[in-house]
This record gives sequence, structure tokens and C-alpha cells, in this order.
Amino acid sequence: MSKLKLASYWAAACGGCDVAILDINEKIVDVANVADIVFWPIAVDFKYSDVEAYADGYIDVCLFHGAIRNSEGEHIAKLLRQKSKVMVAFGSCAVAGGIPGLANFKRREDIFERVYIESNSTQNPERVFPQTKFAVPEGELELPEFYKDVKCLADVVDVDYFMPGCPPTADQIWAVVQVIASGALPPKGAFVGCSNKTMCDECKRVKTEKKVKKFYRPYEIMIDSEKCLLEQGLTCMGPVTRAGCGNQCTSANLPCRGCYGPVDGVIDQGAKYISALASIVDADTPEEADRIISQIVDPAGTFYRYGLPGSLLRRAK
Amino acid sequence: MKRITIDPITRLEGHGRIEIFLDDAGAVQNCYFQIPELRGFEKFCEGRPAEEVPQIVSRICGV
Repeated sequence: MSKLKLASYWAAACGGCDVAILDINEKIVDVANVADIVFWPIAVDFKYSDVEAYADGYIDVCLFHGAIRNSEGEHIAKLLRQKSKVMVAFGSCAVAGGIPGLANFKRREDIFERVYIESNSTQNPERVFPQTKFAVPEGELELPEFYKDVKCLADVVDVDYFMPGCPPTADQIWAVVQVIASGALPPKGAFVGCSNKTMCDECKRVKTEKKVKKFYRPYEIMIDSEKCLLEQGLTCMGPVTRAGCGNQCTSANLPCRGCYGPVDGVIDQGAKYISALASIVDADTPEEADRIISQIVDPAGTFYRYGLPGSLLRRAK
Repeated sequence: MKRITIDPITRLEGHGRIEIFLDDAGAVQNCYFQIPELRGFEKFCEGRPAEEVPQIVSRICGV
């Protein structure tokens, strides 16, 4: 059997997904036994021109990380889609926008103003902003267009599989690589490297009756490391988040922030969480319910921490 | 004038491109380093609770 041809790319990403692949440690040698890497900017020196020269479908599997933030991300996504038999949205950014997707709470012009004018380390009295085309004495330079909205990978290309997580865990990556190498591919559109249970289902913390009289910020209380975080009044996203990470945050006394996204059948994680909260707020009157709920700081930025572009909201107005 | 484009720059975290312009003799006339990437952490961290920021900004660079 000929070796798999594997590509990995980052659009608006941090490189954490790439490092997660390397975190499979010595098993990377086993990957090298079954796969040849034909494009992976963090690790090997292939250029876009090399990818352009590949025949359509030349790449067997492309692991695409990162959200689509600008025209370059979309262009490369389309190029890799054309060249790849299997396209995997790898990591929370590609699946639902991830942390870069928080930019959809802001307007493009306000982001530019903050970054290129107001930031403390910037002096820009002539108000120079990035231009998509810029004439220099030697010719013309181009930069990608910074889109108004952050998009998910599936907004710009057809995606075969979704592998959520910020980042996906090394164990899950290895499991998925083995499945791909075996050729026993799951049905198109499947979420891989994760479970269809919720974080709560797998969380070992002691759960009793969920009744919350007051929501806290973590520094306001001594967190009981045995007891359910939500029952302690912390906005843990466990009830509405897909399992697969191994409960890493909750094991460290940190409430889940939902990076694996919602389980199958739930289209809006934040809305689902609002529904979950409504059932646990311990209020006798609507006024008391309002008072309790208003204790939650930055609800939108918390409930849509990793998935605003992939949600029903998509962006703030 | 000849132009050499190195795109992308590899084996680092982030996105970069280098444009090199050569004169007729093949000597480097000028060279431009471009960063075709911006996410805007400076802006979208505004409004987030302070205790959440370490988890957010750790996604500036995961390498």
C-alpha cells in the first residue's frame, strides 16, 4: 500500500493544533511510516506554489486548523480542498471559529483602530492601515483582505470531518490517524476524536441537586475540588459541551469553557446553556431570577467563547 | 526587474511572506517582509473578565 499523503495547514490559528500533533511524541515516527507529509508550514518547507503544482486530489488527508479571518485563509482553504481527498476541520477554530472568533463581538474598523492606532507600542500619526494593494518603487505589494467577519472552515469549503478541541488531545489525534490509515472512514460530516456525551457525563465531580442562588467569579470563593463547579455557582459549560478533552479544565478547578462545542443535534451551544441555566436558577420571583442571572459577567463572551462564528448569532450587531 | 517571492515562510508560528526585488545584474534592490495575518486580540479581549484573559491570550501562540 502506498503511503498516505498528509497536509496540515493553519489559517487564523495559534499553532497549538500543530503542536498537539507533535504531542503524540514518538508515535510521530509511526505516522511517518504510514504517511508522507506534503505540506505543513510549521514543520516542513513546502510553499504554496508546491501545493498549486499538485494534481487535484493528490493529498489524501488535509488537517486544516484555524478560522477563516482573511482572503488568504479562504484562498488556501479552497486550494487545499481542491487538492485533498479528505478535508478535516481540525480544532475549535476551524470547526466553529475558536478564540479568533471572539473578534465577531467587535467591528473590523474598531479592531484596526485599536491595533494600528491606539496600542501603546504604536506611533502612527499618519493613520496608516494595511492596504490590500500597495505601490512601492519596485512594483506592487499585496496583503490579504481582512474580512468583516470571522468564518468557520465549512463556511468556505466542503468539509468531510470535524475534529473539535482547543487543541484536540494527542490521544484522540492518534486514534483518528489510525482510523484514517486503516481506510475505515466514518460517514461524511461526522465529528471525530471526541464523544457524543457531554463533559458533565464524564466529569468525576460529585453532583447533587443543581440549585444556584448566586453566581461567583472564581476568585470570590474557595473552590471545592470534589464538587460540581456549576453547583458551586461557577459558570461551567460542561452540561452543553461535547466530551473528549478528558476533563482537563475541570480537573484543574477551572470551569469548562466549551471548546469542544455542542453535542450532535444542538445547533447553538450558548442558547443551550442559557436553557440549562434557566432550569437551575433557584429563584422564587422573576425579580430574583433577574438578580441571580445578572451576576454572570460577560455572558455572551463566556457562552460563545469558542464558537461565536459557528453559532446562530454568528456575530454581535 | 526580477522578483522572488517566498510564501509562506515556514517553520515558525504565524504567517509571513518575503518579497525580494533584484536588479538587472541580479543584486538585491529591495526586500519586503509582510505579515499577512491579524486576529485582533488587542480588541477582542476588551470586555472579557480579567480572570478569563490568561486562557484567551494563551491562544496568541500555542507553540
